[in-house]
Amino acid sequence: MESMPGMNEDRDQAPDGMIANESELTAGVRIVPGRRYGFFTDTTRCIGCKACEVACKEWNGLPADRLSLSGMSYDNTRALSANTWRHVSFIEKMGDHGERPADMPPYQSHWLMMSDVCKHCANAGCLEACPTGALFRTEFDTVVVQQDICNGCGYCVPACPFGVVELSAIDGKAHKCTLCYDRLKGGLEPACAKACPTDSIQFGEIDDLHRHAARREAELHDMGVSEAYVYGAPGTPGATGGIDGLNAFFLLTDRPEVYNLPAAPSLPSTRMRPAFLAGLATIAGLALATTGLLLSGSRKDPPQ
Amino acid sequence: MNNILPFPRSRQASRMQGAVAPRSGAVQAYQGPTYYQQPAVKPSGYGWLVWTYTYVAGLAGGAQIIATIADLVGRPRLASVVRSGRYLAGGGAVAGPALLIADLHTPQRFMNMLRIFRRTSPMSIGTYILSGFSLSSGLAAIGQFFAGPRRAWARRVAKAAEIPAALTGAGMTTYTGALLSSTSTPLWAAQPRLLSARFACSAMATAAAALSLSERAWGDPRNSASLDQLAIVATLAGAALSSAASADYQRQGLDGALSDDSAAARQHALAGHIGHTLPLLCHGLAGLMPARSRPLSVAASLSILAGGLLMRSALFRAGNESARRPRDYFQFTRPDYEAMLLPGSPAPGGRR
Repeated sequence: MESMPGMNEDRDQAPDGMIANESELTAGVRIVPGRRYGFFTDTTRCIGCKACEVACKEWNGLPADRLSLSGMSYDNTRALSANTWRHVSFIEKMGDHGERPADMPPYQSHWLMMSDVCKHCANAGCLEACPTGALFRTEFDTVVVQQDICNGCGYCVPACPFGVVELSAIDGKAHKCTLCYDRLKGGLEPACAKACPTDSIQFGEIDDLHRHAARREAELHDMGVSEAYVYGAPGTPGATGGIDGLNAFFLLTDRPEVYNLPAAPSLPSTRMRPAFLAGLATIAGLALATTGLLLSGSRKDPPQ
Repeated sequence: MNNILPFPRSRQASRMQGAVAPRSGAVQAYQGPTYYQQPAVKPSGYGWLVWTYTYVAGLAGGAQIIATIADLVGRPRLASVVRSGRYLAGGGAVAGPALLIADLHTPQRFMNMLRIFRRTSPMSIGTYILSGFSLSSGLAAIGQFFAGPRRAWARRVAKAAEIPAALTGAGMTTYTGALLSSTSTPLWAAQPRLLSARFACSAMATAAAALSLSERAWGDPRNSASLDQLAIVATLAGAALSSAASADYQRQGLDGALSDDSAAARQHALAGHIGHTLPLLCHGLAGLMPARSRPLSVAASLSILAGGLLMRSALFRAGNESARRPRDYFQFTRPDYEAMLLPGSPAPGGRR
């Protein structure tokens, strides 16, 4: 499946001013519909510059969010939202009682920085919850909200196990990272990954990224950073409870909760069957009771 | 799969030890780190429109079930129960969709709910349950309205519609519980079975209470006795499930949102008193009296109806609150840490 017929057929003849298959130059990967793409965010390389946040806002034309000081760390963005699709978290590690520790292991010892993003789950809770089909899986195996379909029911918001998707107060629709669906269609690397100056955010085919992550994890272990582990690749924390894998996954050096990530999230729809069965069994029992009570209550009456 | 967490051990271990209190199965809430107490998941935006809807859906579905059973039992004096039940369900079939559409943030697109069916989404399943219920209950109510000695067609319409209406009515009493459980909101997700069973009990109790009232007002007061008995059965079951839920939240270490001093927690306690304790007391007192007591029955019915609405409101508010509490979510999404952290167990983070 080197090239699929259809819209990307003529990619080699790019419009004026565009470089054909630019992602080959910037990310070393050609974007072909039908293949799986994602992000590998290596937090040990993050310097907290927030270029990803800015690039995302600029490319996607997203308005500013919460223009105030949070009073915590250097993180005034605070969380992913309808208008913020990349969020750099800052964790200052100052010891348990506010004292600067005397000895720290190498690599981001005092600071952890992580550029958070929609995980584009292999089994996505938001997509499974969406009753209109506005949330769909693209030809690049990413998860996108179609703005012309979404009716703002808001069910994807509590469904997401990572607190990513949110309803916009501006237009009443759900919004989240699209993994730059429009750029992928045009052969461009997503804006955040392209802007990242340290390659903390790597864009590529999922299988390649898994290999990069495993290599990087081993490399860090060899350098003495024994805490480094992958979060979100199949079989690792984050890819639990039916979620199977995160197409945007991370390399972390502390507990997931430190980065505001759940250690063992689960797919919301796995709870649907037990809920329905228990509820319907209860109703069946109460319907039986109804029959008995109505019959015995009116037993002196003749049948109709 | 959960024992693979390769968390750093040295500095975290001491902080993590506090997460487990191995006392008689009960578990302390998550004590580990959070990200500056920021929420880890987003709360639903569901407010009074949606919790009122779940109440109306339950009441209407329950009323339709009772009306259909009363019709199938086929005793003449139950005719007024059938009539009131069908009207009540018909009213819910109109009010329910109106409440839900009003809650959409882009309400003019409500029809988009019907462009697909998604079997993994209780919201999508519920859309079709509600559509079926509205259609069949509407027909049953219209048939009931026009039924008369000269209009056999109207009776036939009501008769044909009542079975699908009762079946979708059963869905109406239940699916809202499944909808809340199929989220990442800790308080709802932790108890899929108990939550929808509690919703089902509340639905039948409120429907029986409403019909008991209407029988006293416009129907055959003798039927109120049977309906009161049904309300007692459903309320007893609801009270039992409610205390089972409290114990289970404690066992899971997730009782914070319902036990800490908050408006939602107070409301939940009040809902128990008004929806369960008070009506059972009234009916208990009435049972001690030589003759049937009309005021006590009416008081019990009103109390059940108010308690049901309070319970929905409290569970929605407490659920949204639990989503804002990162420790509740991290407790809910904890790995199998008993195995990881209990003294004497193998150290966490055995590498693959």
